Amino acid sequence: MKKYVIEFLKRGMAFAGFGPVVAGVVYLVLSYSIEDFTLSGLQVFVAIISTYLLAFIQAGASIFNQIESFSVPKSMACHLSFIYVAYVGCYLLNSWIPFNWLAILIFTGIFLVTYLVIWFVVYFSVKATSKNFNKGLI
Amino acid sequence: MKCSIIIDKNKDEEVLIYSRENSPTVRRIKEFAESADTELKGYDDGEIVKLALPDVFCFIVEDNKIYAICEKKRYRLKQRMYQLTEMLPESFVKVNQSCIVNVEKISRFEATLGASLNVILKNGYKDYVSRRCMKDVKERLSL
Repeated sequence: MKKYVIEFLKRGMAFAGFGPVVAGVVYLVLSYSIEDFTLSGLQVFVAIISTYLLAFIQAGASIFNQIESFSVPKSMACHLSFIYVAYVGCYLLNSWIPFNWLAILIFTGIFLVTYLVIWFVVYFSVKATSKNFNKGLI
Repeated sequence: MKCSIIIDKNKDEEVLIYSRENSPTVRRIKEFAESADTELKGYDDGEIVKLALPDVFCFIVEDNKIYAICEKKRYRLKQRMYQLTEMLPESFVKVNQSCIVNVEKISRFEATLGASLNVILKNGYKDYVSRRCMKDVKERLSL
């Protein structure tokens, strides 16, 4: 298990920096599209730290798919829950969604649909690669 | 493909291939011939075993130690991963940062429900193919 924890940290550290970059781009777009768009120093600080952690967890969580002792449903459940908690936490901290149950419920619905769509796209792309590689073995 | 063997004790051993093109089959025969005599020393409970490369299914790193996985057993090696990478013939390909597999020993590739790609060897050993290594694997399979 230790090697997976190390791998989680390695992957997380490798991609964590992308979080604040994406947040920066989003804020840049918002500043051009919304008149009088301003952020306080605290908001910027929270956005940088939270998006850094979000990217860290998202990248690190990919290790769940490679833990041999985990069944597929277990690894998917771990992956999904880790990412979900990271996203909800980040969105709430930055007030990107209001702190009420209806908003969180709608966000959860959108999150699950997006997760499933991405999963389908990646899964069928990997399946096509696997089929192609198997042809090379013949 | 026709195959002839000429026994001549006075000549150096050599494999000569006549082919109309440099096909994947020809390349595999070449790689096999080049690696057939290469041997590594494997350690198993204090016992030293000579390992011929064509018999090795894959090399893996576990707890910073290198192991050669053969059909039924695994042997500890003294080499570092980078040394192996340099000395191995083209029939070996890195599938992730801690695993190099013998292409001849691959049974199949399989997409997992976790949306990652696994390589399954003929002895049942399974490991994942990292995205970083996909290009090399594709090239090695002549795709």
